[in-house]
Amino acid sequence: MGIFNFSKKDKAKYIVLGNRKYTFEVGDEGMVKVNRVNRDIAVEEMTHNRFDLLYKNRKHRAEIIEKKQNKYTVEINGNRYAFSIETPISYERKKMLEKKSGTSGLVVTAAPMPGKILEVLVAEGQQVKEGDTLIILEAMKMQNEILATGKGVVKEVMIKNGDSVMKDDRLIVIEKK
Amino acid sequence: MEQDKRKAFRRFIDRQEAFIAQNSAERALKQHEKGKLTARERLDLLFDEDSFTEIDAYVVPEGLSHGFGKVKRSFGDGVIIGHGKVNGRLVFCYAQDFLVMGGSLGTVHAAKIDKIQKMALKMGAPIIGLIDSGGARIQEGVGSLAGYARIFRNNIKASGVIPQISVIMGPAAGGAVYSPALTDFIFMTRQTSYMFVTGPDVVKEVLNEDVTFEELGGADVHASKSGVAHFAYDDEENTILGVKKLLSFLPSNNLENPPILNRQDIIPENSDNLRLLVPDDPNKPYDMVDVISHIIDKNSFFEISENFAPNIITGLARLDQKVIGILANQPKVMAGTIDIDSSDKGARFVRFCDAFNIPILVLEDVPGFLPGVNQEHAGIIRHGAKLLFAFAEASVPKITLILRKAYGGAYIVMNSKNLGGDFNFAWPMAEVAVMGPEGAVKIIYRKELAEAEDPVKLKKELVEKYREEVANPYIADEKGYIDEVIDPADSREKLITVYDALKNKHVERQPKKHGNIPL
Amino acid sequence: MKIKSILIANRGEIAIRIIHTAKKMGIKTWAVMTAAEPNALYLSEADEVIDFTENTSEVPPFLDVERLVEAAVKHKIDAIHPGYGFLAESAYFAQSCENKDVIFIGPSSDAIYKMGNKTIARKIAIKNKISLLKGSTRPVTDAEIAMKEAEKIGYPVIIKAASGGGGKGMRIVRKPSDMEKNFRLATSEAEKAFNDSTVFIEKYAENPRHVEFQILGDKHGNVIHLGERECSIQRKHQKLLEEAPSPALDEKLREKMGNEAIAIAKAVNYSSTGTVEFLLDDAGNYYFMEMNTRIQVEHPVTEMITGIDLVEQQIRIAQNEKLSLRQEDIKLEGWAMEFRINAEDVQAGFAPNTGIIKRMVIPGGKNVRVDTGFVEGAVIPPDYDSMIAKLIVFGESRKKVITTGLRALGKIDIQGLKTTVPFFKAVLHNKAFVDGDFNTSFIETEMQSLFHQEKDEEMLAAFLSLMDYLKEVSDDSELSADKSSPWLFNKRMKSI
Repeated sequence: MGIFNFSKKDKAKYIVLGNRKYTFEVGDEGMVKVNRVNRDIAVEEMTHNRFDLLYKNRKHRAEIIEKKQNKYTVEINGNRYAFSIETPISYERKKMLEKKSGTSGLVVTAAPMPGKILEVLVAEGQQVKEGDTLIILEAMKMQNEILATGKGVVKEVMIKNGDSVMKDDRLIVIEKK
Repeated sequence: MEQDKRKAFRRFIDRQEAFIAQNSAERALKQHEKGKLTARERLDLLFDEDSFTEIDAYVVPEGLSHGFGKVKRSFGDGVIIGHGKVNGRLVFCYAQDFLVMGGSLGTVHAAKIDKIQKMALKMGAPIIGLIDSGGARIQEGVGSLAGYARIFRNNIKASGVIPQISVIMGPAAGGAVYSPALTDFIFMTRQTSYMFVTGPDVVKEVLNEDVTFEELGGADVHASKSGVAHFAYDDEENTILGVKKLLSFLPSNNLENPPILNRQDIIPENSDNLRLLVPDDPNKPYDMVDVISHIIDKNSFFEISENFAPNIITGLARLDQKVIGILANQPKVMAGTIDIDSSDKGARFVRFCDAFNIPILVLEDVPGFLPGVNQEHAGIIRHGAKLLFAFAEASVPKITLILRKAYGGAYIVMNSKNLGGDFNFAWPMAEVAVMGPEGAVKIIYRKELAEAEDPVKLKKELVEKYREEVANPYIADEKGYIDEVIDPADSREKLITVYDALKNKHVERQPKKHGNIPL
Repeated sequence: MKIKSILIANRGEIAIRIIHTAKKMGIKTWAVMTAAEPNALYLSEADEVIDFTENTSEVPPFLDVERLVEAAVKHKIDAIHPGYGFLAESAYFAQSCENKDVIFIGPSSDAIYKMGNKTIARKIAIKNKISLLKGSTRPVTDAEIAMKEAEKIGYPVIIKAASGGGGKGMRIVRKPSDMEKNFRLATSEAEKAFNDSTVFIEKYAENPRHVEFQILGDKHGNVIHLGERECSIQRKHQKLLEEAPSPALDEKLREKMGNEAIAIAKAVNYSSTGTVEFLLDDAGNYYFMEMNTRIQVEHPVTEMITGIDLVEQQIRIAQNEKLSLRQEDIKLEGWAMEFRINAEDVQAGFAPNTGIIKRMVIPGGKNVRVDTGFVEGAVIPPDYDSMIAKLIVFGESRKKVITTGLRALGKIDIQGLKTTVPFFKAVLHNKAFVDGDFNTSFIETEMQSLFHQEKDEEMLAAFLSLMDYLKEVSDDSELSADKSSPWLFNKRMKSI
């Protein structure tokens, strides 16, 4: 037994996927290797889910905004980053399954802010290209255009004129071409 | 130690070597290529280090010498059973091994599961099934089917006695789906697990519809549309971590209390913010999960069936280190109305909590039942009744906190005082009434509004008056239907105090076989 | 007549800003409490609070002319200060105050009306030989007329709300096929924001600078300017960063533009603080855009380099005092920048954020001024704009301001909402900006990234996620049994 030592806390290797891929090797006493190089990072929890990270004599303020399963959203220096935490095995699996199924062709457009749908400008089955206006969302007394991020066909419209939406509500699904 | 060369030991060692060969890395690769781990790797992840003890590793399948077709001789008959510790607590488990005859269920395979189920029940410890099986072993005919039936019967016998968890990590098709369906919780892994009664091939044949495995019975479908699965995870490692997390909230059996988590760092975010989280405007949505996380112990919320019927939230949490079950309306989805799916979801959760001594907390902000022909025709009466039944029947401590709206039938359902809620509290912005101001004014002042010179203005005034005089928490408070109107910022402290007072609550039950819940 | 009390028909930082000056001048202040933010900071700063939380009309409280004027009369308040936004540029409001003998702290209703109506303002500018961009001479009421006007002027054109300001109701149209949609959007936005759907069309100048002059005029015919402000750092016509002076102006150009600004103000007998906005192109040509007849959000940068309290001047002018300052008294010294700390998610295209400010530390200090209407624990309501605070930095030179600005921005700690701080860091690190070589297209053309990332910050955030994940996993092992009391246990046994 013990084909891999995932359950062992020492020297565990993890891959954290954000905009870039980071490999961490967590050793004893907080020693950590980032992308194979030893790094000295001090983490101090200040208040609830809020941390000061000290690295190379610089302090960075960070907060864990959201966590769900192995998915994290962290704000640091006022910017937000989304991560998924993988083990070497789950990472391999991810790569393999992605190759197998091809990247998922569905792109979901979510509401960037809470507001009211003033106008839905596309219908199911409609062709759209990058930059096309999909929806006009009124929020903070401003009308915001929600644009298509790529070329495709509208697969599903989940809202209608006059609906109130919350941030991150799913609005439209586009099948990428 | 030297190997013993005596004859009696030689056979013993040969068998061990054959067994090890059966679990070679090469074979493991086959499973890895599909994005799956082997049954043994899964057990390794689930149990504390070196704590798993296997039972019946060397059994061989029946049908070796007779029957339809030939079955390859291999140890274990496609399932590993045993017991071990998860976070130091005893857990029984069976794990189907897809590498051995596709994990198909033959009579011996079934007998092993039957054995471990009975052991778990005898010992009063949770049982976990890791499911990865091609289904009934055709070669063994009706023997396989009999095996399934026995497993189902055990599931039902153990239901409400020990927690039963099913983890789907490969196919579960046909009759095999019903063992998981009878257990308390189902976990699924995305992209590599499926559950369906009839597969895509049959669907194609009978209905000429093309559907993929994932679309028909994948993790996301069951976790959001059908509600069959309670949890969906991206990979098997996180699926198993999820199982461990769930176990940390559960007692081992129905006589015990859920375990305490010894953690110092439990104070949630600034509770003053509770005053601000719920918008004053009763029509404005907000995220109830934010409210929950300001009341319970820091980071302790474990949501169940998150994506199914999201207009009601169900989940386990800790309040001052002790486990509670939370059922809450979610105003950001369909304004938090109660519909068929959310009634089912809520009722099942309440019954689970009741069975396993988990106190219930209801956070209420509900405008009513979802209206509509669809809902009525699909039986919202029948389904809504389940939630009522479950709440009134539950004998664990039950507390309701009314945050904002509590109207009509939905108010009654959500563990109201006279339905048997032990304590009912309300925040100052609560509106406890038969219906919302707009609707009430329209009915009561129908005539006046019809005759008014400026009906819009009159209606506005009447709505304001109704809000002032009727839709508030104070009338209910004065009648004792609400125990206390509290400052939102004091909610956590209040709840901790009253749960402590309810710690030894016990309700004598009518002697009966069982009630007749409207299913 | 000396003003002894002021009703502030506004909220947030500008209400507090007005209160501070009023206090200094020994004037009693009255603030208006609304249902949207009954716990707001500005209320605790004011001497008296008038309760507008009861919803008695459809009109939002700060737009309710009758109610506000009535409140002033009822409480015998001498004057009303409208701040910016809301009713600040409502001629009707000014007129209503005048009718009830309440002093409106601002220009005459006539001046507001003339400058507020873009078509009239254009006519006045033409008459006074002020340089202008080509535009429609009549209000444009439907898309067809809009098309015709646009053909005459030549694309690209910009549609603007006739009674607008602040970027609302503005749409750029580059080709005829886009006209209809944009016309519809502009008019409906204008209708919503200003209760007036009238729009007009103007030639759209590509990539100009936005330079505006601060004007001060009294009721005795004296008008001076206090130099310019550079407001080219804009997104969708919303100003984000302003500075004074402008790196694009020299003494000569300043004098020329300043004199035109004074001329237009004089043409309407302007008597308060006001702002004349110009577009300035690479070749040094400038065009009159509009005059804002109020105190501006960005007024502090002018205060920093002139040492003049603009709100105090407004109040003095309103109580009929003569300007004590002459043009030659005005000396522009040093440099100032203002950063609008908005609750906006720069990474999501400046989407506004609403919610609770869980933590807010914006240290001020020497050369750093902070104007804010919020404290920790406050809620940014969706009812109003998304500005949390204004950070104003002063220094001897532009270079020093940039250095001090970066330091001050680095010290800001706001939690619960995303802000424009990373955006400003990116601006201050941008070479074109540092060189002073930018225009209104800066954000689209010069910025590689809209937010500044500190070195290694993503890696650190990834590390923090991993640490927390591992902690969560190992924490669950700290379980212990919760034993029931014998009383409960026995009963439980029996009932099963």
